[in-house]
Amino acid sequence: MKIDDQKIRNIGISAHIDSGKTTLTERILFYTKRIHAIHDVKGKDGVGATMDSMELEKERGITIASAATYCEWKGYEVNIIDTPGHVDFTIEVERSLRVLDGAILVLCAVGGVQSQSITVDMQMKRYKVPCIAFINKCDRSGANPYRVIGQLKSKLGHNAVAMQIPIGLEIDAEGVVDLVSMKALYFDGDNGETVRTEEIPANLQDEAKTKRDELIEAASLFSDELTEAILEEKEISSELLYAAVRKGTLKREITPVYMGSAYKNKAVQPMLDGVTYLLPCPSEVENVALDMDKNEEPVVLENDSEKPIVALAFKLEDGKYGQLTYIRVYQGTVEKGSTIVNVRNGKKVKVGRVVRMHADQMEDVEYLRAGYIGALFGIECSSGDTFVSPGINMTLTSMYVPKPVISLAIVPKDNKSQMSMSKALNRFSKEDPTFKTFVDPETNETIIEGMGELHLEIYVERMKREYDAEVTTGNPRVAYRETITQRADFNYTHKKQTGGSGQYGRIAGYIEPVSDAEFVFENKIFGGSIPTQYISACEKGFKQSMAKGPKLEFPITGVKVVINDGASHAVDSSDMAFQACARGAFREAYLRAKPVIHEPIMKVVVETPAEFQGPVMGLLNQRRGMIVGSQDEGVMCVIEAQMPLAEMFGFSTILRSSTQGKAQFTMEFSIYRQVPQSIAEKIALEVAQNKKSAA
Amino acid sequence: MLKKEIIYRNPLINLGYADEDILPNGGFGAVLAHAGLGKTALLVQMALNTMMREQSVLHVSLHEAVSKVDVWYHELFQNIAGEQNANEIQEYWDKIQPYRFIMTFRVEGFSVPKLEERLTDLMQQNIFKPHTVIIDGLKFDESGRGLLVNLKELASKYSMRIWFTIHTHRHEPPKENGLPLSFLHVADLFDVLVQLAAKGEEVYIKALKGQAATAKQDSLLLDPATMLIKNLD
Repeated sequence: MKIDDQKIRNIGISAHIDSGKTTLTERILFYTKRIHAIHDVKGKDGVGATMDSMELEKERGITIASAATYCEWKGYEVNIIDTPGHVDFTIEVERSLRVLDGAILVLCAVGGVQSQSITVDMQMKRYKVPCIAFINKCDRSGANPYRVIGQLKSKLGHNAVAMQIPIGLEIDAEGVVDLVSMKALYFDGDNGETVRTEEIPANLQDEAKTKRDELIEAASLFSDELTEAILEEKEISSELLYAAVRKGTLKREITPVYMGSAYKNKAVQPMLDGVTYLLPCPSEVENVALDMDKNEEPVVLENDSEKPIVALAFKLEDGKYGQLTYIRVYQGTVEKGSTIVNVRNGKKVKVGRVVRMHADQMEDVEYLRAGYIGALFGIECSSGDTFVSPGINMTLTSMYVPKPVISLAIVPKDNKSQMSMSKALNRFSKEDPTFKTFVDPETNETIIEGMGELHLEIYVERMKREYDAEVTTGNPRVAYRETITQRADFNYTHKKQTGGSGQYGRIAGYIEPVSDAEFVFENKIFGGSIPTQYISACEKGFKQSMAKGPKLEFPITGVKVVINDGASHAVDSSDMAFQACARGAFREAYLRAKPVIHEPIMKVVVETPAEFQGPVMGLLNQRRGMIVGSQDEGVMCVIEAQMPLAEMFGFSTILRSSTQGKAQFTMEFSIYRQVPQSIAEKIALEVAQNKKSAA
Repeated sequence: MLKKEIIYRNPLINLGYADEDILPNGGFGAVLAHAGLGKTALLVQMALNTMMREQSVLHVSLHEAVSKVDVWYHELFQNIAGEQNANEIQEYWDKIQPYRFIMTFRVEGFSVPKLEERLTDLMQQNIFKPHTVIIDGLKFDESGRGLLVNLKELASKYSMRIWFTIHTHRHEPPKENGLPLSFLHVADLFDVLVQLAAKGEEVYIKALKGQAATAKQDSLLLDPATMLIKNLD
């Protein structure tokens, strides 16, 4: 394994679904000689692209799990994480971005900046990932890379600058002009593997010069040397220009734009050069861990292989040989046979096999040094866990995990399926923190929760394929919540005298709505009317009540409980008595505090050809949606709406059939909002019916 | 409480209009200013005031994305709401938001037939029927009189009133009536013209045409930090 840290690139490929990022990855692997043949996504040869390692992904033509792989390009080691494009799987994208140092933002030359690109871009901003853009599909009819550059500026606020200009577009796409070397590049051979350098065609000379000037002007903001060279009218060398663009890219103040067509094998190699020239090496990125021994004080990690280990398990996969844990080493060296500690539970583990991944094939290595991404075998952990050398106690900042918004009851078909199902569920919930599972104590049903219909659908299918667990699913259920809308007082006495020691407690106070917390407890008792030792029992009792509303049994949020008086008995008061008293007090006040139901509202973005704009708006309107606006994008139109999740079941089918399959949509959780009265009554009726049938 | 605050911040109140519409059906109004003085902010405040009166506003932007326009509304609404209870703010926003619809076009793709097509899509399905339209980003020097005449017909046909933002250039000195030369050829189509002008650190609103008799000239100030009507108390 090579030692030079300067020559490592940990990059991700992020984009809107269907912009061709899996195809691009496939080409990168081919040109870097990691694979020897090209298989396209949904290709006629039935092999599927190499990065779509899961059978299901091959069948659907989409990438679900991010497969990690590494390759070499001109002496640089490039670790690539292929990331999924669908919003339902954003946790995968976020996890990938957390461990990456740089990214390629793939955009479609026809579709431009689409809704998902906006989400992905926001995630990149959150993790401060520097990126370069690749405008793909320049061979498609309607391709216009300049329009996409304009959208990068206007829609995403990037300071996008072209590093190339196209030589022909649509069916005439031949190659690109490199604005740094001012040469024309063509791609010969069956798979475009031979890069032929020529002089710039005469008809593009002027355009190339103008665009190069624009590039130099943008880059000059980041280099005094370059500014001087411009003022003195000196020759500007490639090194000088690259160094300036690189500086801007690392600060995320400039986005270099490459273009080509991965499918037609055009201009992927120059983009790879861009990755090595412009994206950061691990030591150029500041990574921070929290020192648990020093009250979570932030510590900047050093990309030094000699220092104690700090590594992050960012993805788990269940393979043929047991659990495969993908890790990124931030500091130190994870060596075969060494001992590491899982910070979450303090457990020491011995490192067995250490591998580097190439989609679903692997290569054994002796160690992974700081800055590397690889995988370990036989390590029991959850994704997001931090591993360190014994003796230190640091954790990498936890990743933002959204709460699930939809649930589904699943029932195994037989005993065998039951066993496999629990195995699968155990694995999935470890792999994906947004996927949760539990058994409903009342109905005894197994419930799975996740971020969207498709998210859960995929897991149900994976259960069947990978674990041979046949399950039937119930109707998806929306994660409703209850909250109160006004203050209500309580003064409740819990008294029981049924032989033996009795139970006694009295609690008085009030509950009121609170907007920025799920539950707040405040003790305003002075003078010891409730002895201090029972206060925590009171809090516990109130907290227990929040799990299920007394009326509709949805979880309750946004309640502040204040207790200001009470009474106890020297013999009959106990923790148990005060817990029961708190529950009674909550019940007493709750209904008077005017409870309401809240439902998850999703931000839905539909992209449709303009001629279907009317029908699509109609569809959204029929579903209690509120259309925020419509954006005209030439032939396409983007409609943004806020939709109740409850109304979105089956929407994809209806949307497809009303737009001849030409529209697509993305959906993500936005906010919880109060359910209208008529719908609340319907929900109450349903809940009552479910209770009846369960009984 | 919040409602009161929005009424107080109504940019037209000092031009002599409180509750009633300053523009008649089919009428045109415009806010003129140099870049960055707060044309959009002023119109968004006007829109919020209209939405509060439960009348629908169609916001057409020719240079910004839907999400960006939405941010304008959110920020100004939040600024107006200030220190009020977060629940109350959200609740009131949820109540008035359905009275707004954002439509964005590319400048080169905007035309009256296209706008009418989109409008009929909305109206026929009872999704949205605008009472007031805001058109932000139309270039008056480039779009000829014809476009505005057609827009005026459209406004009368659907009983709407339209507000425009007009970007004036520093290099272009105003004529005696305060209007820029590039605007004179269409000025007669407008019922109300309001100008934003910077004087030192402050931005003043001045009525150039159509103010009520009770209007107080030059008394209305925009706070350049929040783009809100300044608290004069």
